[in-house]
Amino acid sequence: MSTPATPVVAAAPAVPAIPPSPTEPAITEPGVPFVEIEGLRSQQFIPAAKEALLSLLAEQGQGKVIRPVFNWAGRNSLFPLHWGLACCAIEFASAFGARWDAERFGVVPRSSPRQCDLLIVNGTVTWKVAHKLITLYEQMPEPKWVIAMGNCATGGGPFRTAYSVVPGVDKLVPVDVYIAGCPPRPEALLDGILKLEELIRERRE
Amino acid sequence: MAEEGVGALLRGKLPDAVLTVEPFDGTLGRVTFAPSHALEVFRAVRDDLGFAHLSFVGGIDWVAEREVVYLLWSDERKAYLLLSTRLDAKDAHVESATPLWPSANWHEREAWEMVDITFDHHPDLRHLLMPDGYAFHPLLRSFKLHEPEELEVKTRRV
Repeated sequence: MSTPATPVVAAAPAVPAIPPSPTEPAITEPGVPFVEIEGLRSQQFIPAAKEALLSLLAEQGQGKVIRPVFNWAGRNSLFPLHWGLACCAIEFASAFGARWDAERFGVVPRSSPRQCDLLIVNGTVTWKVAHKLITLYEQMPEPKWVIAMGNCATGGGPFRTAYSVVPGVDKLVPVDVYIAGCPPRPEALLDGILKLEELIRERRE
Repeated sequence: MAEEGVGALLRGKLPDAVLTVEPFDGTLGRVTFAPSHALEVFRAVRDDLGFAHLSFVGGIDWVAEREVVYLLWSDERKAYLLLSTRLDAKDAHVESATPLWPSANWHEREAWEMVDITFDHHPDLRHLLMPDGYAFHPLLRSFKLHEPEELEVKTRRV
């Protein structure tokens, strides 16, 4: 009763083999073995390149080759610490909003001091919070910069003679750029950041 | 009015402690007491007169002496009571109200650090608004406004 199953699908026609192009050599055997290339690279090319770079450095000086590259990268990716103290923090926030958009200068606020290289002190610093500011500054990796934003951070502002206010954060941390204003407008903050970028451009150390 | 009886009740209960009783103006009455009888006055006011809520403790510097003010509220009487006592400025200390009203804790810490009034048997008498090691009592009248360079403050915890 049973009949042998007949194949439903017909066998695919055989693909004709592409003949090798007469202009290209056939890749059958490599001319130079791979191991030989690696050996050549490690013995000849890398020491030659190293020697060339070292002679260039010795000739031009390290400050003319490496340092500008670092400065260029650093000043175009300033990451300030996202830390608001007083009313200057409102201007700080609006500087990163849609209208002023400080991110076009590569300035992106980060929430952890470990990821930051710029501390913008925006507001009145009291003696109670002073050691926390120092701790945050010390947690930031080198190289790092500080901007004192507004009159309070610059010199105490209207609270200069008060019993509880630090008269300027340069009593606590080294400040690179001072921004005047009470509070300074976002344009002033952007100007301060650009001034800081000029400072970083001139950095030689 | 029931509020008029508070001072008289307190005076009848503690004749030595209560110094003056001022008549109630609206819902606010004022009683001054001797600081040596502070704990008895607190107990009587809280347990017998029903002033269960202590909303404020403050210190005042009157140069020669210092005053501590307690503002109390009674839900049963719907009335405020202003207790106050005067201390000698040279040895300003009074019994703490914190064991009876826990809300007095931070108020007494502030009064201690601002006008230098010591509260005996306070559970945690340390700085509230100023850093640890702050050497001044800035709301005293002897504290002058100064140039900031004269103010040396420890910024790090040791």
